[in-house]
Amino acid sequence: MSACVAEFAVSCESGNRTGVRTLQREQELNRFLTGVEKRALRIAEIAVRDRDEALDLVQVAMIKLVQKYADRSDDEWAPLFYRILQNGVRDWHRRQAVRNKVMVWFGRSGDDDKDYDVVASAPDPAGRTPDEQLQSHEAMQTLEIAVGELPGRQREAFMLRTFEGLDVAGTAAAMGCSQGSVKTHYSRAVHSLRDTLGEHWQ
Amino acid sequence: MNERDDMTTDTEFAQQARQLFDDSVEGLDAATCSRLNRGRQAALAELNTGRRVWVQWAPAAGVAAAAVFAVVLWTGSQPADEFTPQASATDFEILLAEDSLEMLEDLEFYSWIDFDDETGATLQPEDKVG
Repeated sequence: MSACVAEFAVSCESGNRTGVRTLQREQELNRFLTGVEKRALRIAEIAVRDRDEALDLVQVAMIKLVQKYADRSDDEWAPLFYRILQNGVRDWHRRQAVRNKVMVWFGRSGDDDKDYDVVASAPDPAGRTPDEQLQSHEAMQTLEIAVGELPGRQREAFMLRTFEGLDVAGTAAAMGCSQGSVKTHYSRAVHSLRDTLGEHWQ
Repeated sequence: MNERDDMTTDTEFAQQARQLFDDSVEGLDAATCSRLNRGRQAALAELNTGRRVWVQWAPAAGVAAAAVFAVVLWTGSQPADEFTPQASATDFEILLAEDSLEMLEDLEFYSWIDFDDETGATLQPEDKVG
């Protein structure tokens, strides 16, 4: 009987320790997701040109990260999270391509990109004059369009390196490719954007 | 423009793009931030769900483990029956022994030895003694 009680006590103590660890992990995950969610949303939004779709993609990425990688170390979360998000964006583009083909076959245009209003979707920066806001909006609008028109891998490399601030190794982990490929994609993206944006950015 | 100037321009371009992006992130409207917050809470709830399942089953698992442990201890403390395994081993030895096969061949002879001519009955072991 005493053996049973001792076993039960050990089990409860072990459960409590696990609970505390899980609570700590939850707080760390919460901090990580809070720090990354807005940037992730904007990155997804630029990639899919739809805020609602971007919100869905970010939420799915957050859920998958928590479900599958909560036990990984903190410094692994950012590349893993962005890898999930980028996979989601790629899947979304594939689905859109199939959907567009089906719509064309049925005689309807499946291109909803025309419905995307960059100005309406643009955020309202705080603490600046209307002129500065307008300038910033216009510049960001131009940049978003240019980034959105980049080839997929170049767009991923540019956004992860420039917008999210991941290093080459982290970007390579997020994109699932070599560091050399990241450098190549990023360099091509920057040159392409500079050519596209021209004198606005000189 | 040489390569170094080109790299500097690339860096400046990236910094400018980053600044614009940061501004757009900071300017996200409250409704969007609220939806992000709800999404984050839903994701974290997945972690809690997993933990709740574990916490829910932990006492039952503990009691079950304790019961199994107790049964193992109780079984181990019982006095061992020394004869049962030995008997079965002996049976095995008898069956495999060459003598027993010979005895089976001469079964008729052994039956004749055991037969008592006077009583017509088979001799019991105590009858043979003495």
